[in-house]
Amino acid sequence: MTTRTGGGDTAIRLHKSAYMAQAIRDAIKVFADFASFAVERDGDYYVVQVRDIDPEVDGDLTGEFCNFALVHTIERKRRTPGATGGAA
Amino acid sequence: MANHNIESFDAATATATLSLDNGVYPLDVVYGAAYALIDRCYVLLDKDGDGRGSRMLVHLRGKKPLDEAGLQALSGEFGNELLSQALRRKIIKQNGAIIEEIVTTAIAGAAGAAMPTDFVVEEEDDDLDFLDDPLGIAVPWEEKFKKDKSDNA
Repeated sequence: MTTRTGGGDTAIRLHKSAYMAQAIRDAIKVFADFASFAVERDGDYYVVQVRDIDPEVDGDLTGEFCNFALVHTIERKRRTPGATGGAA
Repeated sequence: MANHNIESFDAATATATLSLDNGVYPLDVVYGAAYALIDRCYVLLDKDGDGRGSRMLVHLRGKKPLDEAGLQALSGEFGNELLSQALRRKIIKQNGAIIEEIVTTAIAGAAGAAMPTDFVVEEEDDDLDFLDDPLGIAVPWEEKFKKDKSDNA
């Protein structure tokens, strides 16, 4: 699901056909207080680098982040049928 | 079952992975099933990386630690939810026009368009006032029977 890149950093690869860029941005806003995020494009993927996760966070932040990105994508697609991804 | 490895379990990461044919389960159906289970597990969607491109990978990881039996149960539930969502989508597609008509009629009725003309009171004909009391209902009991009382006395 995710890749540990050392030093507690994690890379999450989200496929462009399944996740909307705006939804990823929305999810980042939600978790911005608990870690630092950077988004890059890698072919058909958005790669979200998660760094400096707050040690006091209880639970799996990257898992929750994936769920939020997915839910925001679903809700955005329901509001705008036929919507596709977009530039991150 | 097809030759594809549809289900796999990774005990080390406590993750179940399902490989789904896009022709059988379109993205909307996968979204619906993921949404239904999102309170119990972490869901990550991916495309099959072997170049075929027609299969979607769904990675499921329980929010609570799960053994292989737990992962199998979760994966099974996700499969059932997929079928449920696929059926729902098919029914909506088949009955979309009927559903739309029922909703339109209901909204039009609520807006007053479907009200029978007999019930429509035109302002010109409305000579009744809420202060009118032709049956004397608002007259107090003492006033009504005042005369009779004095007669008896």
